[in-house]
Amino acid sequence: MRHPTLRPVRRNSGRTASQRRFVLGVTFPTILYAAAFSLLPIVWALALMFFEYSPGRAGGAILGLGGDNPFVGLEHFRNMVVGMSREARLFRVSLRNTLVFAFAVLPLNLAITLPLAALIESVRGRLKTAFRAIYFLPAVTSSVGVAMMWGFIYDPQKGLLNAVIRLIGGTPIAWLSDPRTKFLGISVALWAVIAAYLWQDFGYNLVIFIAALQGIPHEFKEAAMVDGASPLQVFLKITVPLLRPTLLFVCVMTMLSSFQVFDIIQVMTDGGPNYQTHVLVLDIYNNAFRYQRMGWAAAGSFVLTVVVMLITIFQMRLLRTEWEY
Amino acid sequence: MTTAVRSLRLVLARRRLPPPTLRYNLGQILVYFLLILGLSATLTPFAWMILTSFKTATEILRTPPTFWPENPTLDNYRTILQDPQLPLLRFYGNSAFVAVSNVITTLFTSSLLGYLFAKYEFRGKQALFGFFLLTMMIPSQMTMIPGYLILVKLHLINTLWGLVLPSFLDAFGIFMMRQFIETIPNELLDAARIDGASEWQIFLRIVLPQLGPALATLGTLNFMGNWNAYLWPMVVITRLERRTLPIILTWYSTQHTTQPHITMAASVLMVMPILAVYFFFQRWIVRGITLTGFK
Repeated sequence: MRHPTLRPVRRNSGRTASQRRFVLGVTFPTILYAAAFSLLPIVWALALMFFEYSPGRAGGAILGLGGDNPFVGLEHFRNMVVGMSREARLFRVSLRNTLVFAFAVLPLNLAITLPLAALIESVRGRLKTAFRAIYFLPAVTSSVGVAMMWGFIYDPQKGLLNAVIRLIGGTPIAWLSDPRTKFLGISVALWAVIAAYLWQDFGYNLVIFIAALQGIPHEFKEAAMVDGASPLQVFLKITVPLLRPTLLFVCVMTMLSSFQVFDIIQVMTDGGPNYQTHVLVLDIYNNAFRYQRMGWAAAGSFVLTVVVMLITIFQMRLLRTEWEY
Repeated sequence: MTTAVRSLRLVLARRRLPPPTLRYNLGQILVYFLLILGLSATLTPFAWMILTSFKTATEILRTPPTFWPENPTLDNYRTILQDPQLPLLRFYGNSAFVAVSNVITTLFTSSLLGYLFAKYEFRGKQALFGFFLLTMMIPSQMTMIPGYLILVKLHLINTLWGLVLPSFLDAFGIFMMRQFIETIPNELLDAARIDGASEWQIFLRIVLPQLGPALATLGTLNFMGNWNAYLWPMVVITRLERRTLPIILTWYSTQHTTQPHITMAASVLMVMPILAVYFFFQRWIVRGITLTGFK
């Protein structure tokens, strides 16, 4: 039974003047700062996409919009869908490449990280920590460093990959510059950046899977073993179903980051050969900062935002209905 | 199967667990074989970079290339360190300045706002929190263009402050800190209040010292993110001497496209400091990622 005098201090009446001052003293500068550096960029980006904006032109009074930077309404979005101009076609190419990239990366990533996590999890003690630490090394390497390393692995004359291919009697390939060679309908250059990206990125999901595997109660697996299940059966019938929430989370995070791929592609191929690795963020960057077509680029970035938000909302919906063990 | 039967079976199974047999060892050997195979795939690109950086200019021209350097040399490193075009120390300084400033400011704002959201009630709290949630969902590529235009207006383009000033607030850090601070008992804060501590004193003397692990995790992730950042620094800074390491590395490699031994040595010099940081803070990084799935 609750003793009346031991009631906790009620929040509202417990608020003193000094607490209110503190709250105000923190929130006031925060709101001012967030308005300038968080809210304004969002609003500005939402406005930019309706204009033909270039920072070189003077434009109207408010944010340089209007005047020489005319309002074009939904013209950019119409162009993206049906326009035949060079930038419209390049945008569609970049969207297509990004989709191919993301949907190739996801299954390949899972096919590497999930079994590997199970293998590492089966090792005991300090060795497990050591394996995990080394497997995570590529993930902490800067993406530019990764791009440099892999760029030289793919080098047609001096690269390691072609050296190995020559050694086993194959034909060397100009991995990053041959626009004709294809594999499974995807150009080798795109495959090459996919491989480099996978190498850089798999550590994250690996670490998350290892942690999730550690969280699965041992009794479940042991019980199945006792009932005569093979290790593979235990993995597929017990472990994987129990990992579903983690699996979903990992899928979404992998999707989100591969939709935003930029660094390694910009350094390794800069979209080439023949725009076969031209991805969405590269398209946005080129338009905004190389060609100063910022209205068009803002419209492109809005498309990216919509895709990212849809994936996030989809994940939240699914997670809400997911059960936990 | 009832629980009782199952646990009985488990007990029996444990008792019947045989001593390590040959079959058991074969499974283990296969596991280790696969793990080491994967390990070599993980380490080969590093090895290729490092080995190449020790090769001579004549050896690098050979086709097919050698794997191990025949006459290992430090000349490539000497060339880079003595190159007047490449004052490396300055670029390390630039990168360190940006990364350290951002770590300090975001750790401060994240813990302060996390504390505010965890322990205070005020009007507009939900709205402000919801706004931070929204900024976390919007990809940086969308706000990058107006972000650049704002820096132009503030005359911060081509300054390192341009990489620091707009990133004081880190929505992700605020969320993480709020989670941590919620676990600090209110009684502790109230006791300090009764003893006459001001709200700032409570934050600095009571809350902040409890956040050690959280600060280490957030700080390490933040440092690496800043140190490795490429797109945003490239947008903000175009003047050569103000650049950060990743941008200078790509610039330097375009100057030496025919000399991979030089660019690989430069890559080693750029990649190694962060790997050292990683080995030092490994525990915090792994914890941070499993906690949040943050990239």
